[in-house]
Amino acid sequence: MIENNQKSNKNTRREFLQNLGIVGVGSLLAGSAFFAARKYDSKKTAADRVKVLTAENKLVEIEKSAITEVEKTPATQLTYLQKQGRDGIAGSRFVMVIDLSKCQNARKCMSACQNAHHLRPEQHHINVLKMQETETTQPYYMPKPCQHCDNPPCVAVCPVDATFKRQDGIVLIDNERCIGCRFCIAACPYSARVFNWQEPLNAQADEGLVYNVELNVPQKKGTISKCLFSADRVREGKLPYCVSACPNGVYYFGDENEDVVTNGTTKESFRFKKLIADNAGYTLMPELGTKPRVYYLPPKGKSYPFQEKDREEAAEHLPI
Amino acid sequence: MNYPTKKLKSILAFSFMICFAFQSFAASWNVPEDQKTRNSYIKFDASTASQGEAIYNANCLSCHGDPGKGNNLKSLNPIPPELSSVGSQNLTDGELLYILNTGRAVMPSFKNSLSEEKMWHVISYLRGFNKNYVQTLSSFDPSKSKLVKLVANFDKAKNAFLIVAYANEKNGKKALVGSEVSLFVKRRFGNLQIDKTLKTDGSGQAEIVFPNDIPGNKTGELEVIVKLFDLNYGEVQTTSRLAIGVPTNKPGLNEQRAIWNVLEKAPYWILFLYSLGVISFLIFILYILNNLRKFRISGNK
Repeated sequence: MIENNQKSNKNTRREFLQNLGIVGVGSLLAGSAFFAARKYDSKKTAADRVKVLTAENKLVEIEKSAITEVEKTPATQLTYLQKQGRDGIAGSRFVMVIDLSKCQNARKCMSACQNAHHLRPEQHHINVLKMQETETTQPYYMPKPCQHCDNPPCVAVCPVDATFKRQDGIVLIDNERCIGCRFCIAACPYSARVFNWQEPLNAQADEGLVYNVELNVPQKKGTISKCLFSADRVREGKLPYCVSACPNGVYYFGDENEDVVTNGTTKESFRFKKLIADNAGYTLMPELGTKPRVYYLPPKGKSYPFQEKDREEAAEHLPI
Repeated sequence: MNYPTKKLKSILAFSFMICFAFQSFAASWNVPEDQKTRNSYIKFDASTASQGEAIYNANCLSCHGDPGKGNNLKSLNPIPPELSSVGSQNLTDGELLYILNTGRAVMPSFKNSLSEEKMWHVISYLRGFNKNYVQTLSSFDPSKSKLVKLVANFDKAKNAFLIVAYANEKNGKKALVGSEVSLFVKRRFGNLQIDKTLKTDGSGQAEIVFPNDIPGNKTGELEVIVKLFDLNYGEVQTTSRLAIGVPTNKPGLNEQRAIWNVLEKAPYWILFLYSLGVISFLIFILYILNNLRKFRISGNK
């Protein structure tokens, strides 16, 4: 028994030392591994992490090692808003009617438009012109937005597919694609397009905003901007900015497929074809074959006078 | 000496203007008697006035100007009256409501853009400029509209809506006689009114003919809204979806092949001419290369 005990004691000591050695070496190894990992982790800063834009347009930061390449599809190449903006609204054909007999040059349409699209005061998506056809005819005011032609010359000349026509008839410009060649300005017979020669109005405030092709905000220096029929509002079922800002009931906007246009001031709806037929509606420069989507009702029976200073300006453009 | 005559002149001019304003008001708005005597069921106070001010600034300010400041748009014909003036303030609440509802000439109707409650708010704001104004509250109870049962059935043979309206009063059903009934079709930006607003007959019924050329969706479905307005029961409406429109399924405007369309939808003649040009150019180059090869071979010989 005593011998056994001594043996076990002896064994225990040896075992103890043995275990101590194992534990010591083990913890040393583990510690150094931990230390190395910590050191590696702290060293791995900006260089090993990368900023990634998700399909939902969120900027996230992930480790480079976690990246797996996804096969590119057109849907992921374009941001969500750009894709939505290209598609348009199925089953609709938007149309605008401008009643010239009601326009009093209040210019609320212009200011509402410039506010919405962050335009400089001299840039007009919609402009109220002073018109006089001949010396003997009455002058009148004529708001002139983009005509959103069904046969758009501007789209035909764009070399980079930046300006395009959607299924709902709206002609848009993608400022992210535009190279600023201004071919479209030259092609447009209605002078509906403007160019951002200078840094846009709200350039600093708009920094970091996600570009919305249906709003053209933020505007981009060196690219084209144009009337968008307020595609962002129309998507929500609201009337365009200019249409709802008018205090005089000049504008009607609606869907040709529904055969209804709604007045922006009174919110009263009318049958589109009947309104055009009854009031001798017309389009601008029909001889060009551009098939505009903006119709005009003639300035018949105006109930307001033309301002004298405006008359002088209009007369300047009379042919000699 | 000069001063009193000037003052007299201005007084005369002012009183003349007031008379003129009275006359123009009296002559132009033919407000029906039952509308004239209408009063608000909403008590006018500071909160309704401030809500009304916001609505006024958004819808009325551009022509009528700030009340009391005289900055109304005088270039218009007729000139929109300054609404704090005696002429305007002498109109009854019911008359003001009627004017807001109907509009005339240059003044648009606000029937579709403002609810009756909002119109009362605007009137409440305008009454703030009249110190002598004392409100007469109407005994109208807006919760009474819950009693009204409005039924609209489409009669295929007649192509018309037969509308029946009655109120479930404590002492049994009561047909709504002489209430205004209107039929609307819901559209993307607003409601299209079908026919005119009719009044219900002695048995609380009205019939509105539905045109057969209203475009619906792909299956011809339409959302039809029937609205009823009664002076005692207020406004009630019902909505139903019916396949009574013309099925509409027009292709998108960028479906056709056109020179301005995307590459896949370019016209065939462009695709043909372009490919022909490229192929003939390649053939031409091959032809020259072949000739050069022949020169080399003959030169080597």
